[in-house]
Amino acid sequence: MSSEDPIESAFAGAVKGTIDWTFDAIKSFVIKLKDKKLAFIQDEETINLVKEQYHSGELSFYKEYVSDKEILFIVNMGLTLRKLHSKKDRRNNLRNKIFDKFEVNGVRIAQFVENGILNRYIGILIDNMSSIIDFKDKIIYVLKNINKHVLFVKKEDSERSVIQHVTSSVASNSPLIYIISGKSSAAEIVRKCEGRLVQLLPDYILEKISSNEMENLFFKRLIPKE
Amino acid sequence: MERLSLKEVSKDSKIELLRELGYDSDGEFVLESGKKLLDRYLDVPIKLDNMVILPGSIIILDNNELSLSKYIEEFGDVF
Repeated sequence: MSSEDPIESAFAGAVKGTIDWTFDAIKSFVIKLKDKKLAFIQDEETINLVKEQYHSGELSFYKEYVSDKEILFIVNMGLTLRKLHSKKDRRNNLRNKIFDKFEVNGVRIAQFVENGILNRYIGILIDNMSSIIDFKDKIIYVLKNINKHVLFVKKEDSERSVIQHVTSSVASNSPLIYIISGKSSAAEIVRKCEGRLVQLLPDYILEKISSNEMENLFFKRLIPKE
Repeated sequence: MERLSLKEVSKDSKIELLRELGYDSDGEFVLESGKKLLDRYLDVPIKLDNMVILPGSIIILDNNELSLSKYIEEFGDVF
């Protein structure tokens, strides 16, 4: 391997199998690393995804309205999960890491973003916005108290348990918006609960975001007549 | 910034690189002063086969989206 341009040589060697670096090449790499001219990575895909997400328009939007840095980071992780939609192993690996770092609430916030619920939630808030401060406060409040505002239905849940959970949570917290979200086989459970929930939540109107794979029911509290 | 993948690099060369940077390896994990080095954002031991080495006082991390996003948040997009 040439010591004049060890990086080029190292890349060229990649096609041949496992690469051995010379001592001179390693010395040269270390100098470049310390000069901030070189980074050692595993794969381009992960770095590019992280970079793309960091500069994404959707994250830039949330940066304007989510002042809590930790919550904003979890929002970023939710967007990253969405990007990993078709890469099951990597998505599950990241989900586990979000759980390790931010526990169950972190996973729920990330899922709230991943499923596109935060998008629509913000749209509904904008419809009824009284001030930017109030708008920002409401976004942070819902993300910090995610359990009071959303139920992520699991495939093993029964219709009965879903209905019971929703009615109990709505009665206790009287949220402005309550969401029931289900993916894949859980989406079917959500669909089956819809009619009964409409009957049981007369102070709310229903808005749905549906696709083959996902069902999100947004129950919006009716503003009391004056 | 140039990016060099460690995926095809031999174990010996990776260990040599770590030693040049003041770290070491037991063949499976990255070591610092004889102890497993933990990813600064996730507190998990870093495997030799999944490490990334990034500038910024030499940061060695586990290669995953969460740690790399945290790194960019802390140091900016240096890539």
